Amino acid sequence: MGKAKIKIDKELLARIKKYASLAGYSSPDEFITHCLEKEVAKLDEAESEEEIKKKLKGLGYIS
Amino acid sequence: MKRRKFLKLSVILGASALSSPPSLFSHFRGNKETPYKVLILGMDGLDPGIVSRLVQEGRLPHFKRLMAEGGFSPLGTSIPPQSPVAWSNFITGQDPGGHGIFDFMHRDPELYLPVFSGTASQEPKKTISLGHWKLPLERGQVRLLRQGKAFWQILEEHDIPSVISRMPANYPPATSQQKTLSGMGTPDIMGSYGIFNYYTTEPGEINPDIGGGRIHQVYVIGNQVEASLPGPINTFHRDRPEATAEFKVYLDPTNPVAKIVLDSDEFILQEKEWSGWRRVRFNLMPGQSVSGICQFYLKEIRPHFKLYVSAVHIDPQEPALPICTPKEYSRELVSYLGLFHTKGLPADTSALDNNVLDEAEFLHQDNGFLQESLAMLEFELKRFESGLLFFYISSTDQRQHMFWRLTDPEHPAYNPNLAQHFGQEVANIYIEMDKLLARIEKFIDSRTILIIMSDHGFNPFARGFNLNTWLFEAGYHKLRNPWKEDKGSLFENTDWSRTKAYGLGLNGLYINLKGREKLGVINPGSEYENLVRELAQRLEEIVDPATGKKPIYKAYLAREVYHGPYIEHAPDIILGFNWGYRISWASPLGKFPPAVLENNGQKWSGDHMGAAELIPGTLVANRRLLHPAASLIDVTATILHLFGVKIPPEMRGRPVLNLS
Repeated sequence: MGKAKIKIDKELLARIKKYASLAGYSSPDEFITHCLEKEVAKLDEAESEEEIKKKLKGLGYIS
Repeated sequence: MKRRKFLKLSVILGASALSSPPSLFSHFRGNKETPYKVLILGMDGLDPGIVSRLVQEGRLPHFKRLMAEGGFSPLGTSIPPQSPVAWSNFITGQDPGGHGIFDFMHRDPELYLPVFSGTASQEPKKTISLGHWKLPLERGQVRLLRQGKAFWQILEEHDIPSVISRMPANYPPATSQQKTLSGMGTPDIMGSYGIFNYYTTEPGEINPDIGGGRIHQVYVIGNQVEASLPGPINTFHRDRPEATAEFKVYLDPTNPVAKIVLDSDEFILQEKEWSGWRRVRFNLMPGQSVSGICQFYLKEIRPHFKLYVSAVHIDPQEPALPICTPKEYSRELVSYLGLFHTKGLPADTSALDNNVLDEAEFLHQDNGFLQESLAMLEFELKRFESGLLFFYISSTDQRQHMFWRLTDPEHPAYNPNLAQHFGQEVANIYIEMDKLLARIEKFIDSRTILIIMSDHGFNPFARGFNLNTWLFEAGYHKLRNPWKEDKGSLFENTDWSRTKAYGLGLNGLYINLKGREKLGVINPGSEYENLVRELAQRLEEIVDPATGKKPIYKAYLAREVYHGPYIEHAPDIILGFNWGYRISWASPLGKFPPAVLENNGQKWSGDHMGAAELIPGTLVANRRLLHPAASLIDVTATILHLFGVKIPPEMRGRPVLNLS
């Protein structure tokens, strides 16, 4: 798997390190990856929301 | 509750269905000879006020005779009087607290998003990947969310035969060996309530972002048009592309005629001609495809090329999704009647509303559906010897939705020119129903009890109420960026940490309740109780400055009007609109248009989201009525009573026909 670096504010990184440990993640990297995956999944879902809207509109009652 | 991805309505089910061998038509249940034959015609939206007026005018002679012979009464409808809710009341003999259908759409309290109320689908969880392909190791599921037993399931337990044709709010059909065909709520092949396709060389004429349809720009090159018909999501493919079926149109260089080539099918259409049913096959992977049926309408060849293609219906010959019970019933119907509409509410109101079809074209389409329905009804009547036959007709509802504007010069969408030609279409569909009564008269013998019923009446939709805008202005709903008030939808600008209430669906208002909504702020108990009462009172006090009328006739509290185990899923307040009012177009999906109240200039101009007291349905029978204030759940109790079946305690209705 390829790796990429991203920049994170120092203060935020400190908090991430703290909570990653508290939440039982093996590393801050794992915690960050998990958070990002969750957010991306939400955006994937948002695509479905548009589709749900379109399909509901076929009923005629909403626009 | 997990978000339901209707986009991903599984075609895997279809693959399974396709692999099933055809079987003989021999698995139908219900063999008992019954003293009565009960024939119920469900005419959606048949309004008792209009029936009375047209009878008085002498335009419904067969209704008049039936009323004189038996009885006629308004029929109490559901709260709210939306079809899925009302027909579910009838199906189960219970109110929404008992069957769990409160609106066309519900909300997911975790995500504050709309979800279909009647159906949930789930893809197979176990799959195996092979290159670009993702192969299922188990079946996907599509599930009926309506709770409670359907009356024909109870009849089946007593071996009483039933045929239930196109019953709304019954997709996928409730488990049964009775003959049932699903109606309103049955999706098209895309898994939607209906998406047409329109191919045009003049795309600017139509708003491309319309609900219920897709506009495709095409080019005429060398008298040929190449186009693509979208189909279901191909869940066999790792990237989940939309399956498509390519087709070509060859234009005659001089005459207004074209040949359409779709796979191995070739047919010729003249300008302004409909194709009838054409089968379209969407290939998913080698050896797997899904079949649909659709109709083409060649609207114009020159100067602009314009081709309308109806929503692609599930093919009843080889249904990709469950549309009937037993599973061979739709094939049996095809074998006798040919292909038929399977999508619920097939009249393309969206195409008319968006000027893709004009009034005459819409009527042509819906007439075709109506005639097909009547042929199916006659087919079933010819073999109706015992038990119950229910048959549903949607044209009464759909035409009132679309043509009410032309009956009333005060309506914002009234058009005097169109009214000259189409101002009688609402009356005409009632007259068509009167002709239907004449047509089936020969099937009504002394054993036949005929009941004509509707789920609700109708009223004008002249003014729209933006519930969410009102909640925002009254301080119950907070936006993160108030200056972006009318932008976006699905509450994307909402600050849930400060929001007390929100509107979602066509009649529902929900409290942002702690412990129920993910980001709830209102405490259960007195804080909730006080807020609900305060909101109901304030809603009923609103006055429309343009008319001086109150838009909300009654704000019902769920716990005061519903009974049964599913009340906790109900909206907290159900808006019962006044005559002439309805929820606005934008509010149901969490939008915040600038004005609380606005005119409705759409062709969709009649509706039925009013207070139940204002728009009852219709009950006509060839037996006298025991009491004049019957409601939908009383008809259910009547059915069981007629067949000597004990009425279960959860059904709250009472028999309504006098058989002496």
